[in-house]
Amino acid sequence: MTTGTPDLCPSCGSCGFPMRSADDFAGGKRDSAYCSTCGDEMGRLKPYDEVLSANAAYLVRQQGLDPGAARGLARALLASMPAWKGHV
Amino acid sequence: MSNNSVNIHATLLPTSRTRQRDATRRQLVQAGLRIVAERGFAGATTAAIAEASGKAHGTVFVHFRTRDVLVDELVAEIGKTMSQQLAQASNDSPELPAVLDSHLAALGQHEVFYARLLCEASTLPDAARARLFALQSGIAWRLRTAYEREVARGTARDLDPVVLANMWIALTNHYLMNRDLFAPGASVIGARGNELKAQWLAMIRP
Repeated sequence: MTTGTPDLCPSCGSCGFPMRSADDFAGGKRDSAYCSTCGDEMGRLKPYDEVLSANAAYLVRQQGLDPGAARGLARALLASMPAWKGHV
Repeated sequence: MSNNSVNIHATLLPTSRTRQRDATRRQLVQAGLRIVAERGFAGATTAAIAEASGKAHGTVFVHFRTRDVLVDELVAEIGKTMSQQLAQASNDSPELPAVLDSHLAALGQHEVFYARLLCEASTLPDAARARLFALQSGIAWRLRTAYEREVARGTARDLDPVVLANMWIALTNHYLMNRDLFAPGASVIGARGNELKAQWLAMIRP
C-alpha cells in the first residue's frame, strides 16, 4: 500500500487542517504555518486554551458531539501536533 | 562558489545519514499501513511491522518511542492524505455531488485500512481516535458548506446540516465496516458508492 498523494497544500501545524485558499490561513497570510482557527490576524499561533476551545467547538458544530467529549478529543489531537508537542 | 556558500549548502542539504533515517521511517510507516490492512490494528505488532519492513525490531523504537506513537503516525498518515485529497479534489465552491464524489474517492483509495480504523477506533490511542473525528469534521464541514448553498438556491430541503452530515458519514462507515457482507472480495465503495450517493442526494431534494 502507498499513500501516494504528494503534499499539494500545507497543513496547519496546530490542528492539521489542510490549507488551500488564502482564507484558510491565519490572517489570510499564506506564509503562516497555522489555519484561520488556530492563528490570529497576524498569522501567529493563538494561546493554547483559545485553540483548544476553538477546535472543540468545531467538532461540536460539525458533528454535534457532546461538548465535554469534544474537548477531550481536541486535547488529544493537539497533543500529537507539532505546535503543541510537549505542551502540558 | 565561496567557502561561505559551501558551508551554507552543507548546513541546508540533508546528510546521507538524515536521508537514510527518513527513508527507514517511511519504510516502517508503509509496512505498518500494509500490516494494519492485512491483520487489523490488533495484529499490527511492532515485531510484525519490523519483519514486514525488513528491519530489526529495535529499529522501530529508534523512530517511534512506543507502539502507540507508531499507531498514531499510521492514522495521521492516512488522515493527512485523505484530507489533502478532499481539499484538492474540488474548487473553492464545489457542488454537493462533487463533495460526495471526492469523499468516496478518498475512501475507496484507502478502503481496507480505513475500514480497520473504523472497526477498531475505540481501542486505539486517544490521538488516533481524535484524528478520525477531525477528518470526519472536515468532511462534515465540506458537506455543510455545499448543502447550505443548495438550500439557499432552493435545490435542497432545509434540514439539520449536522444530522445530514452524520447520516452520510454513518452510511459510508456502515458499509465500510461490513464490507465483507456488502461487497465480498471487492471494493465496497466501488460497488456501492454511487448507489449511496444517489440515495442520500434523493433524500435531501425538495
